[in-house]
Amino acid sequence: MALVMSPKDFATATPSWWCPGCGDFGVLASLKSACAELALNPKDVAFVSGIGCSGKISGYLHSYAFHGVHGRALPVATAVKVANNHLTVIAAGGDGDGFAIGAGHFLHAVRRNPNITYIVMDNQTYGLTKGQSSPTSDLGYVTGTSPGGNPDAPLNGMAVALAAGGTFIARGFSAQPKKLVELIKAAIEHPGFSVVEVMSPCVTYNKHNTFAWFKENVFDVTQIEGYDNTNKQHAFEALTADGKIPLGIIYQTQRAAFDDLVLGDTPPLISADVYDTGRFHGIQDAYR
Amino acid sequence: MILNNIEVMFGGQAGDGSLTTGDLIAGVFKRMGLEVYTYKDFPSRIRGGHTNYVIRAGTTPNYGMADFVDCLVAFDLEAVQIHIEEMRPGGFIIFDNTSETIPAELRRDDINWYEIPIGKIAKEDLGLELVRNTISLGVIAALIGMDPQIVRRDVTNVYKRKGEKVVDINIRAIEAGEKYIHEHYASTPSGYSLSADRVDGDRLIMMGNDAIAYGSLVGGCRFMAGYPITPATDVLEWMAKYLPQYGGAVVQAEDELAAVNMIIGAAFTGVRSMTATSGPGLSLMTEGIGLASSLEIPIVIVECARAGPSTGLPTKTEQSNLQHIIFGGHGEFPKIVLAPGTVEESFYMAIDAQNLAEKYQMPVFILSEQALCQSKATLPRLSFEAVEVDRGKLITDPVVFGEYRRFAFTEDHVSPRVIPGTEGGMHLAPGSEHNDGGVITENAKNRKRMMEKRMGKMETARPDLPKAKLFATPGARVGIIGYGSNRGPIAEAQDRLNKMGELVNFLQLKTLWPFPDDDVKAFLEANDEVYIVENTYTGQLGRLIRHVVGPIDKLHDVRKYNGRPFRPIEIIDAVRTGSAVSLAGV
Repeated sequence: MALVMSPKDFATATPSWWCPGCGDFGVLASLKSACAELALNPKDVAFVSGIGCSGKISGYLHSYAFHGVHGRALPVATAVKVANNHLTVIAAGGDGDGFAIGAGHFLHAVRRNPNITYIVMDNQTYGLTKGQSSPTSDLGYVTGTSPGGNPDAPLNGMAVALAAGGTFIARGFSAQPKKLVELIKAAIEHPGFSVVEVMSPCVTYNKHNTFAWFKENVFDVTQIEGYDNTNKQHAFEALTADGKIPLGIIYQTQRAAFDDLVLGDTPPLISADVYDTGRFHGIQDAYR
Repeated sequence: MILNNIEVMFGGQAGDGSLTTGDLIAGVFKRMGLEVYTYKDFPSRIRGGHTNYVIRAGTTPNYGMADFVDCLVAFDLEAVQIHIEEMRPGGFIIFDNTSETIPAELRRDDINWYEIPIGKIAKEDLGLELVRNTISLGVIAALIGMDPQIVRRDVTNVYKRKGEKVVDINIRAIEAGEKYIHEHYASTPSGYSLSADRVDGDRLIMMGNDAIAYGSLVGGCRFMAGYPITPATDVLEWMAKYLPQYGGAVVQAEDELAAVNMIIGAAFTGVRSMTATSGPGLSLMTEGIGLASSLEIPIVIVECARAGPSTGLPTKTEQSNLQHIIFGGHGEFPKIVLAPGTVEESFYMAIDAQNLAEKYQMPVFILSEQALCQSKATLPRLSFEAVEVDRGKLITDPVVFGEYRRFAFTEDHVSPRVIPGTEGGMHLAPGSEHNDGGVITENAKNRKRMMEKRMGKMETARPDLPKAKLFATPGARVGIIGYGSNRGPIAEAQDRLNKMGELVNFLQLKTLWPFPDDDVKAFLEANDEVYIVENTYTGQLGRLIRHVVGPIDKLHDVRKYNGRPFRPIEIIDAVRTGSAVSLAGV
């Protein structure tokens, strides 16, 4: 029996701690809508986040939510899926969480390809610590820790994901909620690791990559003539070209999901019997 | 005098096969009905570098090294050079003199020398240099009177996987070794003759790490994530073999940060989960362990301690991670630390750890050490009669959303726990401070109450934790305290001191956190002098004890920190000398 759900069914009573006008509100709204439109049941959704402004999002989605330590959302989410593959598992974090302190896990999640969705809320700054440079900040970005201008070139996370064997790579903009809902829905339905990078402007600290700036600097990847999002070369060119930022499903393909490879025919681990200990008695015979 | 117990050491270069032969001889001793303990002392490399493997056998259980080496099988001169001083007067060295000779200055005339061209026999008579290990086994068998039938049967069993040809050449190698001794020396001239007054029966011989893994499986663990690290890797490999057969799964993580967060994720989802690591990995896991504790998620961390800091001595033993385990991590949070002292205890404690973690919803450590976790010992057949899986306050039925509070304040401080998929139990589990419903709050009153709730669980758990084991000697007023791998050498030292008329008691600590204050206080009251035996430089166990009882004069510290386990004589000497501080080992 299919559930009829509304975005409100995914709301929590907890008031948001984000600044008024924050791009993350758009991400949350789209996420709730996507969950409702997919008729997910909140009891079967595990939502894992890291630390930073983005990490707060797990408190605002009615689900089994987990707000862990900085950068480690993906290992937690991967194991939740392995432990119970009946759950819909979504992880969320910011550009610092995913591309700095948690960059290693990002790479390994991409190559493992667990059947989970990862939403990177990219505001190109460290908001919660008051505006330092992040791995996606522009070169020359002036902050408290880079008064002479950020000396680090920005990381192209989605190009990295493509190179590492990503099977679903999408990018959205938090001011385009309708498109974002569709991207998140497609990501959740993708059988494998799906990453959605959402350009989610910080209205308090990032005075350059603003809503207005993004409106001028994004375009839909489908506008590229002859673009085929199952073609890796097309995707790589789109992601690495100078100029405007492509949005949409940049690349998708399929290969075996990590949890399927690990589990094989094994039923969800949570259903494994733990009480019948007598059946382990014979193992010791190998030590005679 | 003919001795009925022996410490055999195989010494040579890593990768030359002495581990296989050592395991073989350990198996033969076991099947002869003897008690066996093995100790691996190998370098952190795969081929080359001095390695040795010690096999101890006798008629009483040994859980550690002897004072001396009785029989050294030296495949090169380096092995003799390194170990000549460890030889027992009256012991013997079997030396392969195919390409090297013993220089005069190295000779001791209080030991017997069997200089045999083992390599030459292997190469010329058998056509395969690799079998010199097996020839040495034949030599030992002839010298100490090992049951020839058992030797042949075990050799056959070990090599049958590799085919009849391999079995055949190894049997001929045994015969060549025996024949050489019979032709060149009088019968059993070594001064050793091993026999047991019991049959092997259904006993086992098992490595500490295997016992921990096996116990964890029995205790309900169904998910393990880990990153390979010596000396803990065996646990991951054992689980990778067995867990999938019983509805579980193993993930080799990209690092220890991922490993600990993965087991937290699986445990949050309701699956009993564990990891196994050693010092460097533990350093990386420390933040995650604090997260698990603050979220009241049950996880088990096996720490197979090795000598630190940094890379330290990756393949050697030490107890120097004790304070890191107990006090490591920012903030204050509850945890339980258990320390098995034998392979058998490793098995049962691993079951306990799984239950304790879930009953009290906190991280539980199993602290082992290289000298225990990579050692093998004989043990009675494992009993499952008393084994029970207790999932504590896990709720599987639907709850009423809004009424259910994941972190509810309760009398025993443990809250009913739901897992994802449960109707009505949706909540946030945040590493930030939270109220009873999981909502993040910085409220002062709530913070105080939450700290008291979480920390209070340790007192709730205390009566349920393994008690310290007292090995009492009637009339003794001198005591020794220790834990872990030191259980063996201390118990042996105690036995010998008692026989010398110097009566001693021994308290083996099994729970190290929450610290067993009452057990330790009672022991200190019952003894006039107490020796604290540990493998640390700074006396970490001694500090914990002094924290409970104060800096009293009756405490003596016996420490060893050269990466090697205690030998009983070192503990005996320390007790007889009576110094405030005794440092053992070269």
